[in-house]
Amino acid sequence: METTHARTELIGKAAARPARRRRARQVGSPVLWFAAPAMAIYALIVLYPSLAGAYYAFTDWSGIGSAKWIGLENFKTLFRDEQSFGSLVNTLKLTAFIVVVQNAIGLALALAVHTRIKSRNVLRVLFFAPAVLSPVVIAFLWKYMLNPEPDAGLNAMLGFLGLGFLQQNWLGDPSVALWAIGLTVVWQFAGFSMVIFLAALQGIPRELEEAAAIDGAGRFQRLHRIVLPLIAPAMTINLTLSTIGGLKLFDQVFAITNGGPGYSTETLSTLIYKQAFVFGAYGYSTAVALVLTLLVAGLALLQVRYLQGREVTY
Amino acid sequence: MFSWSTHAGARARRVGAAFLVAAIAALLAACGSGTQDKSDNGSSNGGGGGPKVTLTLKSITDAKVAWEPLIAAYKRVAPNVTIDASYAPTDQLQTALRAQLGTGNAPDLFVDWPGNGSAMSVQQLAPSGLIADISDQGWTKQVPDGVKPLLGANGKTYMWSPGATPIGIIYNKQVFKQVGIAEEPKTWSELLADAQKIKAAGKIPFAVGNQTPWVTQLLPYAIAPSTAFAVDPNLAQDMLDGEKSFTNSDWHTVYDRYIELYKRGLFNKSPNGTTYEQTQQLLGSGKAAMVVQVIAAMPPFLSAAKNKDDIGTFPFPAADSADALKIPAGVDAGIAASAKGKHLAEAKKFIEWLGRPENMASFSKATYSIPLVGADPAKTDPLLKPFAPFMASNKTVPFMDQQWPNAKVQPAHFAGVQDLVAGKTDVGALLKKLDEAYQQK
Repeated sequence: METTHARTELIGKAAARPARRRRARQVGSPVLWFAAPAMAIYALIVLYPSLAGAYYAFTDWSGIGSAKWIGLENFKTLFRDEQSFGSLVNTLKLTAFIVVVQNAIGLALALAVHTRIKSRNVLRVLFFAPAVLSPVVIAFLWKYMLNPEPDAGLNAMLGFLGLGFLQQNWLGDPSVALWAIGLTVVWQFAGFSMVIFLAALQGIPRELEEAAAIDGAGRFQRLHRIVLPLIAPAMTINLTLSTIGGLKLFDQVFAITNGGPGYSTETLSTLIYKQAFVFGAYGYSTAVALVLTLLVAGLALLQVRYLQGREVTY
Repeated sequence: MFSWSTHAGARARRVGAAFLVAAIAALLAACGSGTQDKSDNGSSNGGGGGPKVTLTLKSITDAKVAWEPLIAAYKRVAPNVTIDASYAPTDQLQTALRAQLGTGNAPDLFVDWPGNGSAMSVQQLAPSGLIADISDQGWTKQVPDGVKPLLGANGKTYMWSPGATPIGIIYNKQVFKQVGIAEEPKTWSELLADAQKIKAAGKIPFAVGNQTPWVTQLLPYAIAPSTAFAVDPNLAQDMLDGEKSFTNSDWHTVYDRYIELYKRGLFNKSPNGTTYEQTQQLLGSGKAAMVVQVIAAMPPFLSAAKNKDDIGTFPFPAADSADALKIPAGVDAGIAASAKGKHLAEAKKFIEWLGRPENMASFSKATYSIPLVGADPAKTDPLLKPFAPFMASNKTVPFMDQQWPNAKVQPAHFAGVQDLVAGKTDVGALLKKLDEAYQQK
């Protein structure tokens, strides 16, 4: 037992020596020295402000004057306060909606324009166009479209199509408003997801699909067994980007409903803004921002790990 | 392929480094030059009665029309002083100014709000020592006693405001005519009867734009002076002293009456889905008869009307008898001087000059308000005239948020009223929420 232990220790030491030497070589390496100025600037501009900002999450700072250390009080408030906790729930609901619907529509559009139809190039541009516009511009456009009057905007279109029963008080009804905002985000970014899926579809060797077809695989089987596994990297990118975008969503909510009616569309990002700039509660706002950062990083990391495990290559 | 030890390489590196240093120096010089120019402007340019000074001023976009002629006039009075004014919407300014104050970069003069209730209101800022005490200026002695506390804290004056503006009804005279209403209602029951008449004629009695948060507070503010504040005229102070609260006072009548209007179908179909801008269109197009608004917000309503003469005003008749009617009148946003500004003395001189009756009158005329100092009834705008007797006879109550103790009650009020209309809460629960927000620091 003892012998085994001593041997393990020896092996460990022997292994540690070259590693130490390697590290020593790395410290003296010109590569590191050349990277040092950039790293110093990065530390000064990114790391230091971020860490200094995180400190305020544990204080009662009001934006002016000194800050008093209050420990975890801000974090307790976040989970205790109905409005704050509601905004966390709204953020998660909205993110789930955006991730599922945006990518489903994006994939459907990509499959549709990855055919030989003559208008495919025009359609690709049209579907992608909203993604290049400012979210605030889109928000104001949809604010008009989501007018509650039956003879205006989306309600008028639904009425014209004989779908009057679907007319809604889109932004005035607390049970509908959150999904109406989700709809505007999906409308804007489904084309963006489409472009990523389309790039992946164009990278699938044609012979794979042809071979499967010759082997008797139907359209759905080819999609399920060949196409979807091969576009898994694109799926990873799309799901990760839409998750991060959904969790951080601010512009559309702020411009369309400003968190209302009541707090029914409040998200963590709008809460951060209001706490800091409307209430002057900078400390609390920083705490919410820290939670949002951890949430985005944690969820994105888990998602990427899981999705990358599903990726295949032929 | 590439060696760092060659002479050519070393030379190239030296040349590269020299370029880099030169580029950084040029960049820093360029960055610095703006500030330098500005400070040069502020200290050495031009003639006049003293050293050249540039005062920076930041105010709200709505006040631009009032500031521009006054700034031009001040240039004639003090040619050595240049006022570099910039304007932005309220929300943006509240964001930027507080951050600038926090970092010591505030402009010399900046918009400030009277009383308490928002993060940029005078009673929130004064204790921090970031705004200058102007109590010794002559015009402050002429400000009515009821208003003076709203311009400062602890008995001192810290901000200038041009005047006070009421909340009332802006109405479309043509709609009243079409429906057959000859005279504006004077009591609550007359208001309800006229509104029913308008509804029966297929028009919207009240255009309510609750999707714009600040609009949610206007109707309760219009009702409160003749109800909650009629029962206890000292209600605001009693609440501050902890003797009364939203729950333990007559505030419930305010929301009972609010919800009565809504349940009778006297609002547009979806108040929570309608914006402030849409109410302008509804009133201007004659689809709606009335809007409850701050009279200072008049210009866009006049622009939206087919004919400006179609637009009229009258006090919101929330009382059961005309004699008992009181109206809400709030002190306008004004201006304060940064206590840490480089040109504090000049900034204070400018504020003192603004306090002259003719300057108060000029600013007030442009913003549809009644001057705090030297108001001349003969010169009152016709759209303000229905309110002037109430202001002259002290039958006014300040906007309620100006006397709330923190910046949290007002947003809780916005959300609460939206929830009330959406049926997500009732009057009792709303009052409880407001009390919770009121108790916070």
